Amino acid sequence: MALRDIKPTRSELINLKRRIQLSERGYKILKMKRDGLILEFFKVLGQAKDSQNALNAAYARAEEMMAVANTVEGAIGVKSAAFSVKEVPQIGVKQKNIMGVVVPEIQGSSVTKPLVDRGYGVLGTSSTIDETASAFEDLVEQIIRSAEIETTMKRLLEEIEKTKRRVNALEFKVIPEQAEARDFIKMRLDEMEREELFRLKRIKARSQA
Amino acid sequence: MEIAVIGSSDFILGFRLAGIHRTYAVDDEPRLVEAVNQALADPQVGILVLSASDMERVPRRLQTQLEESVRPTVIAIGGKEAGLSLREKIKRSVGVDLWK
Repeated sequence: MALRDIKPTRSELINLKRRIQLSERGYKILKMKRDGLILEFFKVLGQAKDSQNALNAAYARAEEMMAVANTVEGAIGVKSAAFSVKEVPQIGVKQKNIMGVVVPEIQGSSVTKPLVDRGYGVLGTSSTIDETASAFEDLVEQIIRSAEIETTMKRLLEEIEKTKRRVNALEFKVIPEQAEARDFIKMRLDEMEREELFRLKRIKARSQA
Repeated sequence: MEIAVIGSSDFILGFRLAGIHRTYAVDDEPRLVEAVNQALADPQVGILVLSASDMERVPRRLQTQLEESVRPTVIAIGGKEAGLSLREKIKRSVGVDLWK
């Protein structure tokens, strides 16, 4: 708002004062929200580090088991077992609310399966296949957990950025501008009052002379 | 919703063993990009799993899109780079490098 657009009237001043009050209240609340979000973010950050490490460990283990299974059973054996698995792991997404940020809560169902439900013949395959399958099931479970945490982080970060931008805009742009406008109107009104007084005095002096 | 896995045939084999049916075996870059785009457009896919080396192979633009995508959530596994984009984001929004 450029200064020349402001009408120096009393009603404008009252409006402006009210708006400044509102901006300051909003600024305080947003600042609290930002701090709260960052606190919340710290909690998730710890979890994210752990899950990242767990994910890498699970992947390394699964890879290793796969290599063993490939050696013992041969690539064809592993493949035929893999293609006969029927049960598909499903994931359900629920929503959770952290300080106004909607984050998903992902749940996996039928990820880990008992041996007989896996679909391949138990007798025709060796135990390495079973172990590989369970290693990968663990990996999938870990992936689901990581996905939830990662999405939560992304959403929180977005919200933090947005809130920060708003706080800064209020602190450095909106409130100072409004204060400047208020001061301008005050000065202008005072000036007009003085002019008026001076004019009256002049008229009075002229009429007396 | 389901989990989708994109990668080399060796990479996806294990996931098939865990019961995931939405696996796309890709070996060259154009097919990879095509599969990734397909998975991104599919409303049934909730989580998309890629290997970190494949993640690096997709064009930069698509990579950013993958990193920022929330639905489906894209997880890259097997590499050290997995947390790098997130780290950048943290730096940008919090102002401090909090990762490690």
